[in-house]
Amino acid sequence: MADDKVMIIMTSGPDTPRRCATPFFFASLGAAMEYEVTMFFTIDGTLLLKKGMAETIYPKAGGKPVSGFIQDALDAGVTFLACTASMELHDLQPSDLIDGVKMVGGATMWQLTEDCKTVLTF
Amino acid sequence: MANVRGCNLPDDLYYLIEKHVWAKPVGGGVIRVGITAIAAKLSGGKLAALTVKSKAIGQEVKQGKSVATVESSKFVGPVPAPVTGILLRANDKLVNDPNLAVADPYGEGWVAEMQASNWDGEKGSLASGAAGVAAYQAKLEADNISCS
Repeated sequence: MADDKVMIIMTSGPDTPRRCATPFFFASLGAAMEYEVTMFFTIDGTLLLKKGMAETIYPKAGGKPVSGFIQDALDAGVTFLACTASMELHDLQPSDLIDGVKMVGGATMWQLTEDCKTVLTF
Repeated sequence: MANVRGCNLPDDLYYLIEKHVWAKPVGGGVIRVGITAIAAKLSGGKLAALTVKSKAIGQEVKQGKSVATVESSKFVGPVPAPVTGILLRANDKLVNDPNLAVADPYGEGWVAEMQASNWDGEKGSLASGAAGVAAYQAKLEADNISCS
């Protein structure tokens, strides 16, 4: 029950701003419910982790930028993993990313999902 | 009822100040639990949901572990148990009207009831009475929180 592992695979990014708040909100909520929450960023999701990017993306006009949702999730203890293949997709270096993100390969994603009670993909 | 920096704080409750939750013995070893006016303020004053952990009903929840989750556009976080006990029931009224916890946090807006495992042993770790209200006031001043 408590400390069950769950994962959110985040593929949405700056091209679809409306899709960029709820996954982080669900992650923070999961942490509040005492799940062990991991967010695995791939495809365009990894772009949200680029320094300076999330501050410029507003899921709702006049609302909180994605950076706020990201910080809430990090503060709640959510683990952020970025897919190395997606780094290559976007020509990103590890130093381009915000603090608190670990880079892992796709095989790690498969291994982690085996242990997860629930996996959501956005 | 004390009013501290615009926040109502009954002086007959037991507070887990750091987590903005209150406990009140209601007889038979049952402790009623809720969020304080400060928690309501910090959430932005309008809750989207306040969900008690239904899977935990009938189970023992340790002091500090979550009995419920608060959701608002400003905040999402746990409602920790102020003391250890078996989670008995949720306040069903919050299902359709979570903002009852904001409008009447110490009355109709209570969150859950627990059968305390060790009230006498743990109540000393909570802040109560005039000293408790003063300690809560000190925290509000240190964190620059007010309800008005």
